[in-house]
Amino acid sequence: MGKYIIGRIIQIIITFFIVMSIIFLLFRIIPSDPSSFLLTPSMTAEAKETIRKQFGLDEPIAVQYFIYLKNFVHGNFGTSFYSGRPVMSIIMERMLNSILLITTAVIIAYIIGVSIGKAIAWKRGSKTEKFFVILGLWFYTTFTPWLGIMFLWIFSFKLKLFPLGGMITPEKWILDPSLMEKICDMGYHLILPLVTYVLLWFGGYMLLMRNSMLETLKEDYIVTARAKGLKEKVIKNKHAARNAMLPIVTAFAISVSFSIGGAVLIETIFSWPGIGRTIVEATLRQDYPLVQGAFAVITLVVLLANFVADIAYAYLDPRISY
Amino acid sequence: MKKIENKKASQIRQIWALVRKSTFIKLGVSIMILFGIMAVFSPIWIHINPEVYDPIIGADPNVHGSVGPSLQHPLGTDDIGKDLFSQLLRGSQVAFMLGMMVSVFSTIIGAAIGLIAGYYGKIWDTLLMRLADIILTLPRLPLLIVISGIFGTQSNWIILLILSLTFWPIISRVIRAQTLSLRERPFIESARVSGVGNTRIIVKHLAPNVLPIAFYYLTVTVTGAILVEAGLSFLGFGDPSNMSWGMMLQWCFVKGYVFKAPYWMIPPGLCISLLAFSFYLIGVGLEEMVNPRLKKR
Repeated sequence: MGKYIIGRIIQIIITFFIVMSIIFLLFRIIPSDPSSFLLTPSMTAEAKETIRKQFGLDEPIAVQYFIYLKNFVHGNFGTSFYSGRPVMSIIMERMLNSILLITTAVIIAYIIGVSIGKAIAWKRGSKTEKFFVILGLWFYTTFTPWLGIMFLWIFSFKLKLFPLGGMITPEKWILDPSLMEKICDMGYHLILPLVTYVLLWFGGYMLLMRNSMLETLKEDYIVTARAKGLKEKVIKNKHAARNAMLPIVTAFAISVSFSIGGAVLIETIFSWPGIGRTIVEATLRQDYPLVQGAFAVITLVVLLANFVADIAYAYLDPRISY
Repeated sequence: MKKIENKKASQIRQIWALVRKSTFIKLGVSIMILFGIMAVFSPIWIHINPEVYDPIIGADPNVHGSVGPSLQHPLGTDDIGKDLFSQLLRGSQVAFMLGMMVSVFSTIIGAAIGLIAGYYGKIWDTLLMRLADIILTLPRLPLLIVISGIFGTQSNWIILLILSLTFWPIISRVIRAQTLSLRERPFIESARVSGVGNTRIIVKHLAPNVLPIAFYYLTVTVTGAILVEAGLSFLGFGDPSNMSWGMMLQWCFVKGYVFKAPYWMIPPGLCISLLAFSFYLIGVGLEEMVNPRLKKR
């Protein structure tokens, strides 16, 4: 087990290194001068020169590459072209917002998906099963921003039940309200993006759980359990579902990588100040240090999630030994 | 010879009977045919009045601002008088083309790599599967955004290339697993013993046997490709020389018509979702047919 973990860690480091090198190379073949966005024509030549030096834009590529790697190891991603703030502090702040949204959504979607999947596998071939499979599939393949816009249109614009976006109501926060009020305000802003996310994601878990359940139900120990005369409910929950959960655990962590892709779209629609929206905005503004930093952090999170999935799987399934 | 033909015909009949029983496949195919008709109808609609109905260069000079559905414009127009219906039809073409091409390319790449890794094993297997792992862990949409940002203007060919290069690992993993079990079967052994070359074994004996599974992943990949392209276009990183559904929704969003013009906002998103849905339904239906463990008790 220890050897396996070390092997996986080395693999993650190598993968991360390769990805970061590719990103570095890509940024160096940009057709336009990356400093052009930062420098306005009204600046004096001296001011331009200072900024070029400050961002290391005049060094040779090989030197830039080593500075880049060294900075990454130290967690120093440079300074944002656009806001002038350190990239690391922007990313940390945005990452927390994303984690709040993504983890809440993934956990709720997971619970709902797994329970429905368990129930419909038991009712194989029924109308209920077909209905839920089609419903889950429909939301799973619905175009994310469109669903978000539809919800905003119906619930925020027409019915005026929810805010039109953002994470907080700035007018309320200026008055320095109590912690409770702050949490309520955030929760109020969280509901619509959360519901969108859960609807988009429960179908995937549901289908996986259903398939996994159906496969488990064919195993010999289920036949044995039936032969022993155990109650259906006990067989379903204690024997079948527990074993069917195994592949879903892996899927849970892997879905983190896909949820970040989805977060890009959901955060854009609901103006949620998370990491996904940050990478879109930074790319549009050609804020390269921020793009690099955000992409590095997203990749790292995805790699770690996959690592956790593998370890969890190995730990949970005694049949697997490394 | 005739007997073999009969056997094939009865096999096809059997498959057809299974397909007809599957609600998922029937529903999926019906939706797909609808969009197929839309894609075919696109040039005909433009032909009626190219100056007004061309989705790229056409515009109605008599229209000021976005107007709702009318006889002349079945879905209304956008803010500069472009016909939304013709944009929607063109979008169907783009989605079909891109989705199909990405899935075909990535299935070919994935099948080839899976077959090579599974058949040759050893260092080939390790190298190719590690590569697959790396690509599989990349966050696809952020990567595409970053690459689009770097290249400045985006073209559908670059999107197609990147999508094909990122979708193959899932397919290659499954094909590899299949190949590993097929490799030890007697018919492969006997082919090897009778002196058939490796390439020929892979192409003639292994590939036909892994194709049914590849076909399932092909449909699922179309869904992924359609959704990713739409997402990219929606964020403003699409190919500006063509009109896709994601781009229609983007214009509606950027120009501030999302709440004002439901006739502009609803159709493109609905089309993206429905087409993606139809391919996935077919995939799930096929999976139920191919995977014996999912068969009804």
